[in-house]
Amino acid sequence: MHHMENEQRYTKLRKMVLVCMILVPLIPFLLTIAIGYYYFTSALEKKTVAATSRIVDDHRSMIEFFLEERRADLEFILNSYNFDYLAQHENLERVFERLQIKSNAFVDLGVFNQEGVHVSYEGPFKLTGRVYKDEDWFIEVMKKGYYISDIFLGFRRVPHFVIAMAKPEESNKWVIRATIDTYIFNDMVKRVRIGRTGEAYLLNRDGIFQTERRSGGNILDEDPDFEKYRTKNTDIKTFTQTDYRGTEYFFATTWLKDKEWLLVVRQESGDAFQALTRAGYLILFISILGIGSILAVAFYLTDRIIHRMIETDTEKDELQEQLIRASRLAELGEMAAGFAHEINNPLQIIKSEHTLVQMILNDLSEKEQLSAAEEMAELTDSINQIGLQVDRCSAITQSILKFGRKSDTTPKNVDLKEFILDVIKMISPRATVNGVDIRLNIANDLPPVFGEAGHLQQVFLNLFNNALDAIYEKHGVQGGILEISATTEIGGMIKISVTDNGCGIDVENQKKIFSPFYTTKPLGKGTGLGLSVCYGIVTAMGGSMAVASEKGVGTTFTVRLSPAQKNNL
Amino acid sequence: MEDIKLMLVDDEERFVRTTSKLLARKGFRIFSALSGADALHILKGHNIHVVVLDVKMPGMDGIALLKEIKRNFPLVEVIMLTGHGTLESAVEGLKSGASDYLTKPIDIEDLTARVREAFEKRRRLEEKIRKAHSNLCVKSPEATVKKAGPGF
Repeated sequence: MHHMENEQRYTKLRKMVLVCMILVPLIPFLLTIAIGYYYFTSALEKKTVAATSRIVDDHRSMIEFFLEERRADLEFILNSYNFDYLAQHENLERVFERLQIKSNAFVDLGVFNQEGVHVSYEGPFKLTGRVYKDEDWFIEVMKKGYYISDIFLGFRRVPHFVIAMAKPEESNKWVIRATIDTYIFNDMVKRVRIGRTGEAYLLNRDGIFQTERRSGGNILDEDPDFEKYRTKNTDIKTFTQTDYRGTEYFFATTWLKDKEWLLVVRQESGDAFQALTRAGYLILFISILGIGSILAVAFYLTDRIIHRMIETDTEKDELQEQLIRASRLAELGEMAAGFAHEINNPLQIIKSEHTLVQMILNDLSEKEQLSAAEEMAELTDSINQIGLQVDRCSAITQSILKFGRKSDTTPKNVDLKEFILDVIKMISPRATVNGVDIRLNIANDLPPVFGEAGHLQQVFLNLFNNALDAIYEKHGVQGGILEISATTEIGGMIKISVTDNGCGIDVENQKKIFSPFYTTKPLGKGTGLGLSVCYGIVTAMGGSMAVASEKGVGTTFTVRLSPAQKNNL
Repeated sequence: MEDIKLMLVDDEERFVRTTSKLLARKGFRIFSALSGADALHILKGHNIHVVVLDVKMPGMDGIALLKEIKRNFPLVEVIMLTGHGTLESAVEGLKSGASDYLTKPIDIEDLTARVREAFEKRRRLEEKIRKAHSNLCVKSPEATVKKAGPGF
């Protein structure tokens, strides 16, 4: 019952300690990780965004520069030659050759009069004589003087775009127009390398692909996702968006300055934020590792703490039990003395009755009223036996009473030789039963020691009894030797050695042998107090106590006591 | 053998009875009492020589009775008998004028020997008193006893 309660208490306590042990380091750990994760990832994200924005910016500049250059090329021609000159095909051819040397992006070059008639053309198609008056681009260039078209199929049914410029000459306006190689332009726009999935493309204001998209999207197709990122702003815009196929992309977009084309640079989010993902995994790994070690340490420490608590509690319980046992022993001693006293009264009566019976029998036999039969002899023997047994009982009660009287606590001079012999008398019955040979070597000229006889008796009784225990363990009831010697050492100290040939004590236990509650005897057999109490008594008397032992060979306990002062003698 | 008048005082009736029989057989004249009051009553009526007294008795205990006896009948020799062999009660008994101290269970031979010793002591004392009477014409025996002291 009590044990069960304890078990429950420990389980509860264990839970509590464990929770504290886990929560106390875990909460700050998780907070740190979370805050670290937040700042780290947002910094990384910003970095990624900034890098992509820069790429978009650079790429736009490049595209704009390209278009600017082409425009400058045309402007140069427009300003260097007049309509009449260029209307001559061979002149145009020459100019075109020079133009192509400068940039092979030009596919063809044509000259138009105010009516939109293709007066002169140099290029791979046969376009001379066609009338463009109603074409969008022509209307537009006549109005604004400069025009870059979207990609269109035109008369040649091949995707292309044109740059056209108009110049007023006298009262008329004439126009030159150049076609830009879509292939080269497309390549240039596409040519952006960001990570594994990075790509760049141009859309016009209606979301039509002006250049090819690597991940799918042909020129002149419509981007199905255009609505999602349509914007009016010319600044660079970054965002994350899932496309129609369900892939999440990181986008950076910007409108070109001179042409209403949207430059889009996009990269799959997983690819763009690869470092971020990697950092996430790293942090996850660190978290798992940290939580794991916190848990491991918490479990280990809790185990240790609870174990130590159980140990302390057990020790406490044992101590209490030992105290109870000790007080019970003291009570028992008193009771034994009381019993002895009470038993002496009936013993006295038995003895008196016995004497009376004996006397009467003697009288009768003297008067020869009894036959000296065999039965008579038996009766006499039996009566004698009663007398003997009563004497035996009285010897026992006397010794109990005598033992009680030994506990006298006034210190006095004790003659060690006599004293040790007295104590040996107390253990000699046990020694005889166990077949132990007691060898004495006690000097005759031992000086007395000053101390309490009861205490000294306890010390020697303990040492002798321990020796007998050790001997019994090793030899059983045959072959034990207990050697007790006492001499005066050169310094004047009295050295008493108790040597047995018993089971011995190993080195580890020798260190702890004088500590309280240390015992190698089975539970309930020894209190673990004996030697510590002896040690206390001996040191209080100004003496010392030591042990020397070899496992399996035997043990020697040595007690050193200082002799009594001369004035005590 | 002289006629020794001996009184046994003990609350154990059987002990008193049997021991009386034994001592009677040894030739003593035996009186017995089971309590202190009984004992004092008997002492008043008889010239008891020796009293064997149990230390522990209900009512008036042995030591108190001893003191009472020594006060009223100083010539009576008292032997204390006890089951409890403590030094303290022995010392107190002897201090209060007991002539001997014995522990139970005692052999009847020992007891008779001690009783005889006590009687001898008493006899010698009476002898001295008698001499003192004839030599010094002391007025009362009590005065002499007081001078000599109970323990010599």
